[in-house]
Amino acid sequence: MTKSDIGIVGCGQTPYSKRAQGTLVGYLADAARRALDSAGMARGDIDGLAVAAFQLPPDNAVTLAEQFGITVSYADYFTAGGAGSVAMMLAAKRAIEDGQAKAVLCVAGDLYDVGAHYRLMGNFNQALSNYAQPHGFGGPNGLFALVTRKHMEAYGTTCEQFGRISVGQRASAALNDNALLRGPMTMDDYLNARMIADPLRLFDCVLPCTGAEAVVVAAVDRAPKGKGVRVLSGAEQHNHPPGEVAPLHIGAALYRDRLWARAGYGPKDMQFAQIYDDYPVMVAIQLEDLGYFGAGEAPGFLARHDFAWNGSLPLNTGGGQLSCGQTGAGGGMIGLWEAVTQLRHEAGARQVPKVERGLVAGYGMVGYGHGLGSASVVLERA
Amino acid sequence: MMGDMANPPTYPQPREDATNAPLIAGWREGRLMLQRCGDCGRAFFYPRPMCPHCWSEKLAWFEASGRGRIVAYSHVFKPHHPAFDAEAPIVLIEAALEEGALMLTRVVGEDRTNARSRMAISLVPMPEAARYPLPTFVLA
Ligand SMILES: [Zn+2]
Repeated sequence: MTKSDIGIVGCGQTPYSKRAQGTLVGYLADAARRALDSAGMARGDIDGLAVAAFQLPPDNAVTLAEQFGITVSYADYFTAGGAGSVAMMLAAKRAIEDGQAKAVLCVAGDLYDVGAHYRLMGNFNQALSNYAQPHGFGGPNGLFALVTRKHMEAYGTTCEQFGRISVGQRASAALNDNALLRGPMTMDDYLNARMIADPLRLFDCVLPCTGAEAVVVAAVDRAPKGKGVRVLSGAEQHNHPPGEVAPLHIGAALYRDRLWARAGYGPKDMQFAQIYDDYPVMVAIQLEDLGYFGAGEAPGFLARHDFAWNGSLPLNTGGGQLSCGQTGAGGGMIGLWEAVTQLRHEAGARQVPKVERGLVAGYGMVGYGHGLGSASVVLERA
Repeated sequence: MMGDMANPPTYPQPREDATNAPLIAGWREGRLMLQRCGDCGRAFFYPRPMCPHCWSEKLAWFEASGRGRIVAYSHVFKPHHPAFDAEAPIVLIEAALEEGALMLTRVVGEDRTNARSRMAISLVPMPEAARYPLPTFVLA
């Protein structure tokens, strides 16, 4: 297969905060500035803008261009929630390949905290607002509790096996100054935490927070020397399987074979996996649908692996959303940011040694019962 | 037995529109109304202007039996809206209705925390039904 010359040339992340403070545009601008610095670019080098932020409406990508004071030949406002940032980056890459732009700034984030999260989720979309909110559904915690229950009853997965994801990622978060939860956490801490929505306990649920991420998509040779990241393949699939409330599969099941075939690699060749982690069960489901193990084999896989940055499967090597916090729609970009940081060998104390390639999977946009969107990319150090 | 009948909590309400009006009107009388497709024959929830299985517009409302089974359940200790706080834990379920439709709903009643997957459920009868904004169930 021919490798595209278009990839990721810079990435930026703002400090995270538990309190919604400042302004959304301020956070997006801060992430953008950091990404441009990382790319060695100036504002005038950008001719495309894509944005993912739940709280941006009634603004959009074009009005954000006005706020930023830049003229762009490509503008895109995301869909697909936590899958949106990966999908947005893939769309930016195609726009550049088509000649519509040369360098696209992709930004994502929200001014989120627990209160803002509940207010948003009650009105997230028409189906949830009309048919789940009147039942006191508990927001995503209630919905993913149903998915988790189903996973446990269908496959025999235990709380302790799910906990290995949260505990492993926390070990990585200890080495990430931007993680809001970076104190040590043992399996006992995880299992003894208070019940939120049975079987989900406190450390199964992400902490809504404020922050933003950005990446710059352009020809990889525009990156500072040794800092370009190639996109070997990418795919997205939304609302699969259709018509289900709490399915144990996502769209990745449909594109998995194509994703790996085009990349020329398989799951075993990945030196890390940045997998959207709003809840551990969704990491397990994505790993299965992306081909890390066979149907229903999550219990053995989770029991067998250590998910810390230096473990047998380096997973969400900055601590993931479960330890860093979920910056609203920025939660869909934290994995991309961490992957690029790792591939640029800029991850400091949590740097995966000699890393050359890895996987990023985005997932989200909760509809009537579950996240509908899935988008994944295989990345390689250029 | 199900709380203060005279002063039900101010639950968030579904927004009535041209598509879901029969569901909401039916439930005011304690009936569970579903749509069935005139072309593919399948019943579904939530209300839509076209059949999600085949895009047919030949849809007819009918009164469902109100019986079904629990597919999955959770005890939600932290509801997302204050109207539900006094009733925590909310027993949120995915229900498979006899007619084949899947529904997110909840089980109420003193014994609600006995809910388990595959248990039979039935609609809350009138007059208690009027307390809830949408079709709500008890253990059968
Ligand atoms: Zn039909």
